[in-house]
Amino acid sequence: MTTHPPLPQAPERQLPFDPPPEYAALRASGEVVRVSTPAGFDAWLVSDYAGVREVLGDGRRFSARPGSTAHVMPGFDPESPVDDLFTRMDGPEHIRIRRNFAPQLSHPRRLAELTPLVQETVDDALDGLKGAAQPHDLHVNYSRLISTTVIAELIGVPQESRHLFYDTAKALFDPTGKATEELGPALLPLYVYMQELVAARRAEPGDDVVSRLIAFNAQAERPLSDHELIMMNGALFIFGFDVISSRLSGGLLMLLSDRSRWERLCADPGLAPTAAEEVVRFLGSPTGLLRQATEDTTVHGQPIAAGDYVVLAVQSANRDTALLPDGDVFDMARKPGPHLGFGHGAHACVAQQIARVQLTAALRGLATRVPSLRLVKPLSEIECRDDSTARGPAEVPAAWDEVLPR
Amino acid sequence: MRIVADTGRCIGAAVCALAVPEIFDQDPVEATVVVLDPAPPPETHEAVREAVERCPSGALRVDGSTVSART
Repeated sequence: MTTHPPLPQAPERQLPFDPPPEYAALRASGEVVRVSTPAGFDAWLVSDYAGVREVLGDGRRFSARPGSTAHVMPGFDPESPVDDLFTRMDGPEHIRIRRNFAPQLSHPRRLAELTPLVQETVDDALDGLKGAAQPHDLHVNYSRLISTTVIAELIGVPQESRHLFYDTAKALFDPTGKATEELGPALLPLYVYMQELVAARRAEPGDDVVSRLIAFNAQAERPLSDHELIMMNGALFIFGFDVISSRLSGGLLMLLSDRSRWERLCADPGLAPTAAEEVVRFLGSPTGLLRQATEDTTVHGQPIAAGDYVVLAVQSANRDTALLPDGDVFDMARKPGPHLGFGHGAHACVAQQIARVQLTAALRGLATRVPSLRLVKPLSEIECRDDSTARGPAEVPAAWDEVLPR
Repeated sequence: MRIVADTGRCIGAAVCALAVPEIFDQDPVEATVVVLDPAPPPETHEAVREAVERCPSGALRVDGSTVSART
């Protein structure tokens, strides 16, 4: 048996602000190489913009079935049954589920309705900082609070039940390598909760996303089953709070660790939308995404056999000179371009528009109301969380002089 | 320039509709792309091309050169 070099990854516990240095040469050569993944299986690694975009954009040749981050989840079996999880479906089966989300999460008129909810959530979180003991962890008390509140309000999950999602996410992404079959019990409390929630909304519809999904789908040829609704909303919640808060906290560290960046945003909070977009380009999908070839094919001339796994190094691709001449530079005023930080193809982030609204409001909120904000630890002392594939900071330890009124 | 949309492929990400609202919208119910002006005026061509490139699903295509010959 040949052993392949390991998938280049940021060292454990180190925050992935930049892709590991190996990627620069790899993507410049456009080479597709064989690597061994942390999950234990071998895969082809694609690290340039054109290649990553090609694979993610072609759901016919490259299936999402193994799960988008299975290559960094040693306990997860990429061959396990899909179990109605839309992130692992392909083709018409996936589109049938996926189509339900856009009217709830990304239609421009729906977004306009949701923006005040996001702004209110951000302002409440900022009010909550008044009088807080300092230093204060803005990851838990700002980023995660905002992302959790927004998705919980959307789905209609009351405060006292939100911990279920934290517990489940932790169990789901446990890096210590739980066997897949052990995940059942870990997911059960959330499953039971969501089952009751779906039943309640069927009986008495409200204006929440679950009720809207049920109503939207009622006339469909094959309406969504309870199990499908549970899997859709469970996934939405877990990815929604975890990935968005990880990006926001990572972005805050990027801005606060370089005073000139923070001062620029404070001087011109109108830069918040492009700053948010740049955070996603810079930090999005640091683990890369996994696909599986459905047929014998090639990428950049490299033969790939049906059944082979392919890892797409998104963070590397977003630095490619084919995309941007200065991709290694964090430029908060950069015009949003076709970066792959929200993924690409039919599986591109389902919450990307509401994520943009949240990241923008959260960055602008701190820049306008807490301009004295500062980190109390050097960046090198802030660790990466090891209980999530979102690879966000474990903390954003901060202090400030005052929180300005709304 | 001629914009061709494949609504069967669209996932309603709204990238186009938010970037160039005078040319792209979304169906009020299904949220799939609606091209308001399939032969857009020249001053919008750059923005349209950028939106098409940013479309995650590959549902949009532009045919023709920068000259809108088919208007």
